[in-house]
Amino acid sequence: MAAAIANPSVSIQDLSLNFGVMSVLKTLNLDVAEGEFIVLLGPSGCGKSTLLNCIAGLLDISEGRIFIKGKNVTWEEPKDRGIGMVFQSYALYPQMTVEKNLSFGLRVAGVAKDEIAKRIARAAEILQIEPLLQRKPSALSGGQRQRVAIGRALVRDVDVFLFDEPLSNLDAKLRSELRVEIKLLHRRLQNTMIYVTHDQIEAMTLADRIAVMKGGVIQQLDAPQTIYNRPVNRFVAGFLGSPAMNFLKGELETGATPTFKGDGVSVPLDRYQFEGDGGRTAKSCVFGIRPEHIAFGDAAKAMPFTAESTVEIVDPMGSDTLVWTKLAGQIISFRVEADKTLRNGDAIRIGFDPARASLFDAQTDSRL
Amino acid sequence: MVDVAASPSDAVVLRRDEAGPAGAKPRHALSRRNIFLYGTLIVVALYYLLPLYVMIVTSLKGMPEIRLGNIFSPPVEITFEPWVKAWATACTGLNCDGLSRGFWNSVRITVPSVLLSIAIASVNGYALANWRFKGADTFFIILIVGAFIPYQVMIYPIVIILREIGIYGTLTGLVIVHSIFGMPILTLLFRNYFTSMPEELFRAARVDGAGFWGIYLRIMLPMSLPIFVVAIILQVTGIWNDFLFGVVYTRPDTYPMTVQLNNIVNSVQGVKEYNVNMAATILTGLVPLIVYFISGKLFVRGIAAGAVKG
Repeated sequence: MAAAIANPSVSIQDLSLNFGVMSVLKTLNLDVAEGEFIVLLGPSGCGKSTLLNCIAGLLDISEGRIFIKGKNVTWEEPKDRGIGMVFQSYALYPQMTVEKNLSFGLRVAGVAKDEIAKRIARAAEILQIEPLLQRKPSALSGGQRQRVAIGRALVRDVDVFLFDEPLSNLDAKLRSELRVEIKLLHRRLQNTMIYVTHDQIEAMTLADRIAVMKGGVIQQLDAPQTIYNRPVNRFVAGFLGSPAMNFLKGELETGATPTFKGDGVSVPLDRYQFEGDGGRTAKSCVFGIRPEHIAFGDAAKAMPFTAESTVEIVDPMGSDTLVWTKLAGQIISFRVEADKTLRNGDAIRIGFDPARASLFDAQTDSRL
Repeated sequence: MVDVAASPSDAVVLRRDEAGPAGAKPRHALSRRNIFLYGTLIVVALYYLLPLYVMIVTSLKGMPEIRLGNIFSPPVEITFEPWVKAWATACTGLNCDGLSRGFWNSVRITVPSVLLSIAIASVNGYALANWRFKGADTFFIILIVGAFIPYQVMIYPIVIILREIGIYGTLTGLVIVHSIFGMPILTLLFRNYFTSMPEELFRAARVDGAGFWGIYLRIMLPMSLPIFVVAIILQVTGIWNDFLFGVVYTRPDTYPMTVQLNNIVNSVQGVKEYNVNMAATILTGLVPLIVYFISGKLFVRGIAAGAVKG
């Protein structure tokens, strides 16, 4: 885990949440630095949205503390926590115009009229929704609605922004557009942002650090590249990356150089960087290699490990092509450029650098 | 690739040459389906409208004409005498001021009962749906069970309670009774409606700092016109048409319209004035009918407005 952060903007300490006998979040710790963009990433039901709701104060926690800006807000109402929240379904008040939607929180708080007008003007300018201010939400497109929803958090003038899968209801094109906008917004505002998503592309592109969650526990908290290249366990390795990482079952053999032995394949692991003394003991393990790290044809010859194989299936994906083949009796996939013409049954040579691979203990699933 | 591209366009050319069906499918006015559909609708409509027709026609006839016995024939000589009599001078017991007294009694019972019961039940439903408190489910189940207990069981205990409080026989007492008995079904109605509203809306309002009443009045209420109209229809018809509570919990000078109607129609003295009885009955039924026609339109509009995704 990352080193302690000096003055965390949001600090979650030993947070647990139980619904009856079911434990949803398990003694969770998370420090978010000032101005940091943290993404909580995980499959449905991993507790990421629940954690966000706990930070927002919409759910009462069972144990632990939550600090925002150094203030203990564990028992505070959502409005007193200095947060703004953006929801997946936009959650705009349907009977109010965009302007009234933006100003609702401020009117409830009794902010002066000219101050409200000033803040709305600023938010509308940042999000480019000035022409929409007098419209009702029903007259807006999905992307416009989500902009208004972000604006509602913006006018609150808060330190921490919470995003709960804000782009999941949009189509693919709008999603990537708004993703860029959120990134620009973060750069401009420099606020702390906590962003929940199940979309790994969003996580990789937006995050300063990603917290990968599963079963109410943070599996790994690190910079996107670290999580991508050095996943701490098999779950993280399989969850990030599309197409997914290839896994080969086999044995780790120790000796002069540690070697991975699969069915008829042995991969020397002298270049592989073991965690601690993971390479010392022989055990059954899982060898993981990403499809984009497998070279093919002439490029494969330069690699420390090469093997002969035949093409099983070819999946053209437009920008590149995914090729399925067999290694050590197990199906693996790798990427080639789209202009390479391969047919089923072609004999090919593939190769990779074991330094880019990931090795997991077959019993504990954690990285070796 | 060329072959594949050529074949669909060939097919298109072929289809254009054919003189097959094209465009909208023609519909025949006298198809079997239409005859069945409209035939059934007409028969059912007649079945329901015929008694109403007889009532209206009879109420517009004089007694000599009624004695001829042609109940379906329209009045030869239209007279509004029976209507005036039913409203202003028909006698029940000692009072001879017609249904007008009962009408105003009913108004004074229905309006506060409807407002009170809907106000309380909507807050109930909102609290049960959005502010889940400990024991909320148990509370809700107990409330719903209340809807299944026959009214007759509770009549006497309530008489005692009202007597002890000192409001037995008053309109206030009846208003309270109506409000209480409307509670289970109305709470269920409102709770289910508020539960169907997006949870995130409620959460957004909480982040915006609105409290229990703030969210209820400024977010939930403006969005729930359709369900309020449904509740109003339900309560106005139910309370206006109520006979049992009216006859038990009020006194002759505070009898609601339904009880008074019964006393007029079922009076055993003198001649049976069918025309007056018919007019009185229509007058009594008019209020729920009008409410239905007005708010029924609103109701449909409310549903249509709610259907637009917000």
